[in-house]
Amino acid sequence: MRRHGPGPDAPRPRRTVVPALLVFWLVIPLTPLLMWATATRWSGVARLPQDFGLHGWQEALDAGVIAALVRSGLLGVAVALIATPLGVMAGRALGWRLLHRSALPSLVLLGPVVLAPFAVAMGLDVVILRLGVPGEIAVVLVLSVFALPYTTFTMRATYLGLDPALEEQARVLGATPGRARRRVTLPAASTGLVTATGLAFLVGWSDYVVTLLIGGGQIVTAPMLIGASAAGSGNDALTSTLAISVSLPPMLALGAFTYAVARRRRAAHS
Amino acid sequence: MSPRLVRLILPAALVGLAACAAPAPPAGSTSEDRSWSQISEQAAGQTVDLWMYGGDRQGNAYVDDVLTPAAAELGVTLRRVPVADTKDAMTRILAERQAGSEDGAVDLVWVNGDNFATGKQADAWRCGWSSQLPNMKFVAPDDALVTQDFGTAVEGCEAPWHKAQFTLVYDSARVAEPPTSMSGVLQWAQDHPGRFTYPAPPDFTGSVFIRQALYSASGGYAQVPAQFDQDAYDELAPDLWKALKDVAPSLWRQGRTYPRDSVALDRLYADGEVDMTMTYGPATLTKLVAEGTFPATTRVLPLDEGTIGNASFLAIPSSAGDAEGAMVVADLALSPEQQALKAAPETWGQFTVLDTDLLSGSDQGRFDDLPASDVVPAYDVLSRNANPELASAWVGPLDEGWRRVVLGAGS
Repeated sequence: MRRHGPGPDAPRPRRTVVPALLVFWLVIPLTPLLMWATATRWSGVARLPQDFGLHGWQEALDAGVIAALVRSGLLGVAVALIATPLGVMAGRALGWRLLHRSALPSLVLLGPVVLAPFAVAMGLDVVILRLGVPGEIAVVLVLSVFALPYTTFTMRATYLGLDPALEEQARVLGATPGRARRRVTLPAASTGLVTATGLAFLVGWSDYVVTLLIGGGQIVTAPMLIGASAAGSGNDALTSTLAISVSLPPMLALGAFTYAVARRRRAAHS
Repeated sequence: MSPRLVRLILPAALVGLAACAAPAPPAGSTSEDRSWSQISEQAAGQTVDLWMYGGDRQGNAYVDDVLTPAAAELGVTLRRVPVADTKDAMTRILAERQAGSEDGAVDLVWVNGDNFATGKQADAWRCGWSSQLPNMKFVAPDDALVTQDFGTAVEGCEAPWHKAQFTLVYDSARVAEPPTSMSGVLQWAQDHPGRFTYPAPPDFTGSVFIRQALYSASGGYAQVPAQFDQDAYDELAPDLWKALKDVAPSLWRQGRTYPRDSVALDRLYADGEVDMTMTYGPATLTKLVAEGTFPATTRVLPLDEGTIGNASFLAIPSSAGDAEGAMVVADLALSPEQQALKAAPETWGQFTVLDTDLLSGSDQGRFDDLPASDVVPAYDVLSRNANPELASAWVGPLDEGWRRVVLGAGS
């Protein structure tokens, strides 16, 4: 007798349908962006752009997208340089349960994620102005705080998967505490470390409100160009082009990283 | 406390700083007692941060390619900070004001209406300077558009930059007998179902359309008090909502939906879906027709009762670190040369705030040389019987009232 409807092998199609839906959900919103980036005219009634061209790209260059991307990149690197080491220390303490009451620091660390960046920026800007901290430094410090939860929780998960005994063995074999950490634990945690660095970088790379309000407009980054362009009407080609040029570098980096990890796994298995 | 805990708490404590904001003593506004030559001497070498709405590509290009090089010749470096909304600049200015900074990051802001009123209320503007700019002598002293900004007295706290005139636009090939008044326009819309609509407030242009309709429904702008008054609103608004609700079923898509902004409306007009559009910057029409975006038969639709006009300004925050440089830039922006360059439709197409009768012969020539247009009449024709803007306090209640009463009244 043939079975009708969902049977024991129903999860199999679901295994392909769900990822397909996810990809669809992620890719569909990007399609108009890609089309606008190559359109010079696309009126509301038409399904496809009437005129194709690279106007948007020329306008993006005129708007200074290259310099803005460089500034965004530097900001991302600065944030990652501060937030990643702090996240490693905090994640190690939390992951290896080196604290008696680890719930409290976890809660405090979630603060920046829970609070709206706008609210934080609005309160902090006056304090920072009064302390006389230069805008550029203040932006890096505040964004590092926003990045800390991401780095900490990523590293916490990484350390949870590592055995503290590994480090102890290195100590037994005569390594100093610092050397044991650098040469034994950190290499084992490298995937988590790269992920944490990437997340911290993205916090600086993609921020608008803190960079503008705390930074006082001294650093004009790529998200500021996008925000300004998106606020105007008739800028669809420029806005899409800017959005794509901001998304591409991290996506390429992610692709390269995933490829490298996969290769290393394959090498380790063979 | 263990050292490990300290390591965790230190970064977290940074977050806690957010709670420490407290009010600062007032900085007070300055009045100018230096001579202009002293000011321009001090300005040399300063870097002026001009915060302006960055969504207008022509405006960005004018500032970057025309105004900035001209400022450099005066020894002032002009830096444009693009913002998505002028309110972002206001947030920064008010924070600097609260912190009592004297070396603020915002030196100059493109502003008018509500934002100017907010800053003035907070005493956040440097005042008494704009009336002393050398090029102010070319501005008519009794020009109400320049002395009042959406009902707030300017009082030397901002320098005029350009004028805007609300203008209705139609395609003469498709509208045989154009209406000549606002009530006529609404009647025309009812007689030609689906051929008219307007941007949904709070879009800037949609919002002024509502105010223009309010003047019309109330029997002229003189019947509407310029300062907001709840009693006046309660008395006048019902007629306005009735007029707009009556026309709604005859609008594009039966008034079930409205274009989200003026560009969306422009696109409907360009595609021939509607026969009329509207704009605050009619000077740009010439370019749109020349590029073929709008049909060649596009014409301006004058109203007998006149339309709403306003001006936008450059203001200097009281916390500005490079105020002298900012004054030099504001004066430069007001010069006949810059005003004429900016008025050219291919540059930005913004109407001058200068009174051309006050200019020298050669400067008048700059404005006479501006390309004449078949589409757009000169500013003095467009602004005939110009209606004043209502105080900015009117704008919010009208936009909100429209959303509650009219939106969704389509069939």
